[in-house]
Amino acid sequence: MTTLDARSPIAAEAPDNYLTFRRGLLSWLLTLDHKRIGVMYLVAVLASFFVGGVMALLVRTKLLFPGEVTWMTAEQYNQAFTLHGAIMVFLVIIPSIPAALGNFVLPIMLGAKDVAFPRLNLFSFYLWLAGAACAVYSLLAGGFDTGWTFYTPYSTNTTLGGVIPVLVGVFILGFSSIFTGVNFIVTIHKLRPPGMTWFRMPLFLWALYATAVIQVLATPVLGITVALLVIERVFNIGIFDPSMGGDPVLFQHFFWFYSHPAVYIMILPGMGIISEIISVHSHRHIFGFRFIAFSSIAIAIFSFLVWGHHMFTSGQSPLMNVLFSAITFSVAIPSAVKVFNWLATLYKGSISLNTPMLYGLSFLFLFTIGGLTGIPLAVLSTDIHLHDTYFVVAHFHYVMMGSALIAMIGGLHHWWPKMFGVMYSEFWGRIACGLVFVGFNMTFFTQFMLGSQGMPRRYYSYDQIEGMAEAFKMYHHISTGGSYIMALGFVITGIYLLHSLFAGKKAPANPWGGASLEWQCTSPPPHDNFSKTPRVGDCYDFSAVRWDEKQEGYVVDTEAHTASTKNGKGH
Amino acid sequence: MKQPETPFDDPAARFEAGRFGMWLFLLVLAVLFVATILGYLVVRIDNAATFVPEDAPPPPSLLLVSTVALLFSSVTMQRALAAGRRGDPRQGGLMVATVILALVFLGVQAVAWVELVEQNLLITDNLYAWSFYVLTGLHAAHVVGGLPPMLVTCWRAMHARYGPENHRGIAYTAMYWHFLDGVWLVLYATLWLGSLR
Repeated sequence: MTTLDARSPIAAEAPDNYLTFRRGLLSWLLTLDHKRIGVMYLVAVLASFFVGGVMALLVRTKLLFPGEVTWMTAEQYNQAFTLHGAIMVFLVIIPSIPAALGNFVLPIMLGAKDVAFPRLNLFSFYLWLAGAACAVYSLLAGGFDTGWTFYTPYSTNTTLGGVIPVLVGVFILGFSSIFTGVNFIVTIHKLRPPGMTWFRMPLFLWALYATAVIQVLATPVLGITVALLVIERVFNIGIFDPSMGGDPVLFQHFFWFYSHPAVYIMILPGMGIISEIISVHSHRHIFGFRFIAFSSIAIAIFSFLVWGHHMFTSGQSPLMNVLFSAITFSVAIPSAVKVFNWLATLYKGSISLNTPMLYGLSFLFLFTIGGLTGIPLAVLSTDIHLHDTYFVVAHFHYVMMGSALIAMIGGLHHWWPKMFGVMYSEFWGRIACGLVFVGFNMTFFTQFMLGSQGMPRRYYSYDQIEGMAEAFKMYHHISTGGSYIMALGFVITGIYLLHSLFAGKKAPANPWGGASLEWQCTSPPPHDNFSKTPRVGDCYDFSAVRWDEKQEGYVVDTEAHTASTKNGKGH
Repeated sequence: MKQPETPFDDPAARFEAGRFGMWLFLLVLAVLFVATILGYLVVRIDNAATFVPEDAPPPPSLLLVSTVALLFSSVTMQRALAAGRRGDPRQGGLMVATVILALVFLGVQAVAWVELVEQNLLITDNLYAWSFYVLTGLHAAHVVGGLPPMLVTCWRAMHARYGPENHRGIAYTAMYWHFLDGVWLVLYATLWLGSLR
């Protein structure tokens, strides 16, 4: 019976968990525990999300008014949307899932005690903090208005003093991301316990692995690009400066060689979370495990071959445009493979419509819209019209926010009981998810209309656009109204999650009926994750999972679980 | 001794993981240098006729001296690693030699820069000068970044701390050092070819 001790009621009440293992501020700041580092990342990322969100609301509020407003100049507006973009991309979405949730969950799902290099893990958190500090300092040094893309020659000519500090910050954040990627790849390759084969690994880990490959291969290019940009600003000469024989389009190539794969750094982990949520909350074996797993790898490979589709109007040769357009279409294949497999998983599942699942279903809707609206942007003829309009803004918000961030929030709800050992209010969770979903679509669906009718992105005022000002005004009003609804949804989320920390019901080890390893250790997990090496079964085989009234949670019968996997009842 | 239950508790597996991690880190740096060289090649080829100004000095021949120093430092590094693996006390002397050669390399690079500045070639003059200073500077920055771990390794080797069971530190340092050696050869060849009219 010793195999049962990790999840017996006695163990569940045991005082030793990672939160209480040691106490005091230093025990957190110097911790090497992946769970604590994950939690610190989570706090930092959510704080940045708040700041980035406030910036978004400022931008949206300004756009209620077609002309100039007294409380925000055009320069301040440029700084606000630049800050919104830079914070959300570099400080929030890129680290949110891998560094916060991934750090917490990856070793436990794998059945390992920690990541391969715990010190490096802590170091990358401090790199993140240093990068964030640079971003804050850049505001004190005069701010920056380059847009998050830092296109030359504007970024080398603008007189605002915050450009160099924020570039240094991006460089440092890049290395934070690289070290997280290195850590995850090595952990997955080298620290899998006996029995954890590649094809028993949860799909979230496959997704994190594919993400880590991109982080390692693409991020150094961003690092050197911003480094060269800093040198260029300091010495007024560089390879991006056409007056000296340099090439400003080269900057765009370098930038998008990183930043297009970076889009998949944002979305792949989200897709991994969705695979977990959809399967666990419909209590049904994931459909097409290998297809989903390999489509993550395929997306990682394709991600390196499509960067030129950001530059159809930048004077690339027509042949290059055609090639990049064609390869871009092919990304649809692995993405659609995933969506169809998720739908097939839902089919005949016994679906629990709780908060994580609602976010999962939101993802399916929003990602489909985001993906399909990518097609007119990949088509050369339509992209000429849509380039740099609100259509692009709407498209990438559907993917980066509606998909990546929604998946992150869904994952947060999925693992919240595991992370903190408490249950949040399911009632308020559903309400908030509904508000976010409705608000999101109001905000961004209207922007497809705006863009297709020609409203350019990043404009401060639109009262001069002949004949369209009234129509644009209506769409902007709906969009801004939607953003307030969304903000309300997030505020409610913040309140009930914080409330649950103090007054939430105690969470059982396995509140949803999951079969992967993290549900077999207590909530919150003990410092060493597992008192003894766990036995690995098929993590999507729910036949041995049953409801236990006493614990008010699910229990996995380890014997039956590993046995049924051996008999090939798994996949 | 207890048989380790998971790879996490097994020193051999952890060493293997560390080497793999180091390879990935070197891959990251390789991508960084490749991108830099590609950027250089693009502007060099875009301006094939005008890139090297008429009166510009070629890369200083002193670089041959620094190249030899760096190559020798790789040799002493490798021998120090071999001695470390055996627990041979000669590891200390070999590491000291490696550190000295590394400092010689950096010193000669600095003298080469001074020499060019004295010939009135400034980084702000043209892209030819810019690329020489930036590429050699980028490499030198990585050598400087390698010095702290190098000094720690040296200190430990001088106390003969490395042996058959314990040579992780010196093994990682050696990997990084050989990588920088290889990068320098590629960079030097690129800069030399690029300086031909």
